[in-house]
Amino acid sequence: MNNIVQAEKHLLKQSPPADALLFEAKMLINDELKSNVAAQQQVYSLVKQYGRKQLIAEIDAAHQQLFTQPEHLSFRQKIARIFLNR
Amino acid sequence: MDTVNLQEQAARQQLFIALYQKVFPAVAKYVSKHGGSFEEAKDVFQDALLSYYEKSRSAAIAINSSEGAYIYGTARYLWIKRYKEGNRTAQLDDTHINGLSNHSEPAAAEDKLLNFLETAGKRCMELLRSFYYDQLPMAKVAQLFGFSGVRSATVQKYKCIEKVRETVKQKALTYEDFLE
Repeated sequence: MNNIVQAEKHLLKQSPPADALLFEAKMLINDELKSNVAAQQQVYSLVKQYGRKQLIAEIDAAHQQLFTQPEHLSFRQKIARIFLNR
Repeated sequence: MDTVNLQEQAARQQLFIALYQKVFPAVAKYVSKHGGSFEEAKDVFQDALLSYYEKSRSAAIAINSSEGAYIYGTARYLWIKRYKEGNRTAQLDDTHINGLSNHSEPAAAEDKLLNFLETAGKRCMELLRSFYYDQLPMAKVAQLFGFSGVRSATVQKYKCIEKVRETVKQKALTYEDFLE
């Protein structure tokens, strides 16, 4: 787990310059560390894609609610008028 | 976990509905006035909301305008880029806003992996999302996921990174183009 913490600091640029250099040197001589760090970088990228995907679904749910629920009828009519009167 | 997490989701839902009511009519007017459709207005507005959400989470980037002005400005910019200039591939990336990285569709291999993780590693992905994407403080993450405190939530967070990392490595062998 210690390696994961170190790799995170390195990837998220939270480590002091001296530590960053040392970590890079370690990666040069340790292929396993190098491939673990590359994979960990993908983890952050995946988490971001995951977060966006979920958030887009949530935004779409808000849209559905506004454009189907009876209590938002006046909002819908307001929008409909905008696209009718042009 | 689920109840509290649902509360978070409900709070976001309320925020999005409120922003829709406040800003969408102005975006719709702009798009309509310039010959665009409802679907186009929806498309750019939703991406502008996403951008606003990500910006508002990040402590590092201050939004120097009101939320309404930010969302309206972003939506208008995206509409011009995508529909007026006929460049339908314009993504949030191309906007004037710095700091928002790649919003293009994930590569096919990454997409497959994402689908796998959504089912096989949902809880870990939710935990990691709360911390890295929603940028909730660790104390809040601990509360949401039912940990006794920040320390055990932090340990779990790293375990989740390790678990997903192992999946990445394992799948990299299957989807050869994944890790370069």
